[in-house]
Amino acid sequence: MTAGKFQRALENITRVRGVRGAMLVAGEDGLIVAESLMEGVKGKAVAALAASLANRFRRVAEASATGYLQFLHLQAFEGVILTVPADSGVLVVALAEPKVNVGLVRLEMLRAAEALAG
Amino acid sequence: MTGTRAVEQWTVAPLERFVTEAGARLTLLMTPAGQVLAQHGFARAVDVMSAAALGAAIVSSTGELARMLAERDFTALNHQGVKHGIFLSGFESPRGRLLALVVYGPDSSVGLVSLFFEELVRDLVATCPPPAPKKPVLAADFERELNESLASLFGR
Amino acid sequence: MADDLQSKIEQLMSDPRSLVFLEVGETLRVRGELEAAVRITRKGLDHFPDHADGHDLYARILVDAGSADQAEEEWNVVLALDPRHVGARKGLAFLCYRRGELDAALDHLELALAADPHDRSVVEALRTVRNAADQAMQDASVRGGALPAAMVFAGLEGADAGLLLVDSRGTVLGGGLKSADQQPVGVEVAAYLAGVSQEAERTARLLDLGEWNWIVAETAEANMFLTQPTAGTLLLMSRDRSIPSGRLAILAGKATAAARQWLEAQAP
Repeated sequence: MTAGKFQRALENITRVRGVRGAMLVAGEDGLIVAESLMEGVKGKAVAALAASLANRFRRVAEASATGYLQFLHLQAFEGVILTVPADSGVLVVALAEPKVNVGLVRLEMLRAAEALAG
Repeated sequence: MTGTRAVEQWTVAPLERFVTEAGARLTLLMTPAGQVLAQHGFARAVDVMSAAALGAAIVSSTGELARMLAERDFTALNHQGVKHGIFLSGFESPRGRLLALVVYGPDSSVGLVSLFFEELVRDLVATCPPPAPKKPVLAADFERELNESLASLFGR
Repeated sequence: MADDLQSKIEQLMSDPRSLVFLEVGETLRVRGELEAAVRITRKGLDHFPDHADGHDLYARILVDAGSADQAEEEWNVVLALDPRHVGARKGLAFLCYRRGELDAALDHLELALAADPHDRSVVEALRTVRNAADQAMQDASVRGGALPAAMVFAGLEGADAGLLLVDSRGTVLGGGLKSADQQPVGVEVAAYLAGVSQEAERTARLLDLGEWNWIVAETAEANMFLTQPTAGTLLLMSRDRSIPSGRLAILAGKATAAARQWLEAQAP
C-alpha cells in the first residue's frame, strides 16, 4: 500500500463525525506509521499507549484461547480509543469523542485494515 | 531500597518516574564522554562502565555519520532484539549535552520509551541545578571522585 | 555430559574468575552433588559478590539442601541487586507457597510475570497458587456463612464459564472462565487483566480522556466486555461471537450489579 493510500484510508475514518484522529501504528513498537490528526491530539502518546493496551489485551485473548484480537474499544468519560489490528503487525487506531458512532468508525477501520492487507 | 543510584542526586526522582512509566530494565544517564551521572538496574560497576563507554562511542560514531550527511545530529537510536531493545538518545540540559541509554523488555516498546523519554528530559531540565564553577583537575582528585562516583552508583 | 562438566571444571580451575562457575554450579546442583555445588558457587561469588544470577543459583542450591531460611536471604540479596529478577521472584514465591502464605506467593509471581510476560512457568505457578487461594477462600466463606466465590454470579448465564471477577492484583474473586474446549483459564486470564486495567487507566489519564468506563474486545471466537464494578475490582464477561457487543454490555450490567452486591456482603 502506498503512502497516498494510507492517507486515504485514514481520511475515510476521520470523516466520521466525532473522530479526532486516526493513525496506523507499528504494533510491536508503538510508533506512528501514518497519521491524520486534529490539532492538539498527542499522536505519539496515542500510538504508544494504544499499542501497549492492544498488546496487553492480546495476551488476555491468548490466555483465554479465543483466537486473535480483531477489535478493541476503550470507552472513557471524555473519549474513546478504537484499535483494529491489521496485517504485518500494524494497528489501525482512532481517537474520538465519547459519543461517536462506534459502528461507523469500526466499519471504516476494518476497511482500512483490509486495504492494508491487499 | 530502589534500583536507582546516582552521582548527581537531582537525577534520581525524574529517572525513577521514567523507569516506572516506560518499564525500563536498565537506564544510564551520562555525558558524551561516558561519565555516568545515574544508573538504574545495573548490578556491577564493570557493566556500568562498559555500557557507558559503548553508548558514548555509538553516539559519537552516529554523530560522525550525521556530519557526513550534513545533518546537525541524530537524536535517537533504537535497536530491537528478540527479548530486549535498546534506546540511545542525547539531549541538551543546563549541564550541557547528556546521553541516555535505556534497555527495555517485552513488556515495553520503543514507542513507550520514546514517549516517556521526552517527559524525562523535561523533568531533568527542570530539576537540574546550575553547573558548579570549574576547578583544575588533579590526579588524586580524579581518583577520589571516581571512587566516590562508583560508591554512589552502587550504594556502598 | 561428564566430559562437558570436566572440561568446564578445568576451565574454572585455570581461570577462577570465570563466570563458568554458574554452569558448573548448576550442573552439580542438578546432579545432586550439593556440597560441591555450594563450594563452587561460593567461590564464584567471592569473585563476583554482586552477581545476581550467582546468588540466585546459590539460593536454589540451598533450597535443595533444605536450608529454606538461608535461601530466602539469598533471594532477597538478588532482589536488592536486581528488583526485576524473575528467578528470585519465583524462588520466593515457592517458599511462601510452601509456608501457606498464598497472598505473598501471588505478589511475587505477579511481579515475576510483569518482568517477563512470556515465562510460561510463572503462568503455571500462578494458576497453581491461585487455585489454592480460591479453595482456601471458598472454605473460609462457607465456614463464615458468606456466599462462596463460585456463586457470585449464581443464576446468571455463563456464571462459571464466562464471567470473571478479579481484584486489581489479578486475583480471582469469583466466577470462572473456560476456553472453547472447556478448560479452565480464569486464573491465567486474571493475571493479564490487571495489566490491561493499569494500561487503560494510564492511557485515559495521559490522553486526558477522564476515567475509563469499560473495554469491549472482539476476538476470533469471542466478544469480551471488561468493566470495573468497584474501585479495585474488574469484571470480565466473555461470550461467543453470536452475542453482539451491544447485548454483551446489557448482560454485563446485570453481572456488575451481582458483583457489587457480593462485594458489599464480603466487606467486614
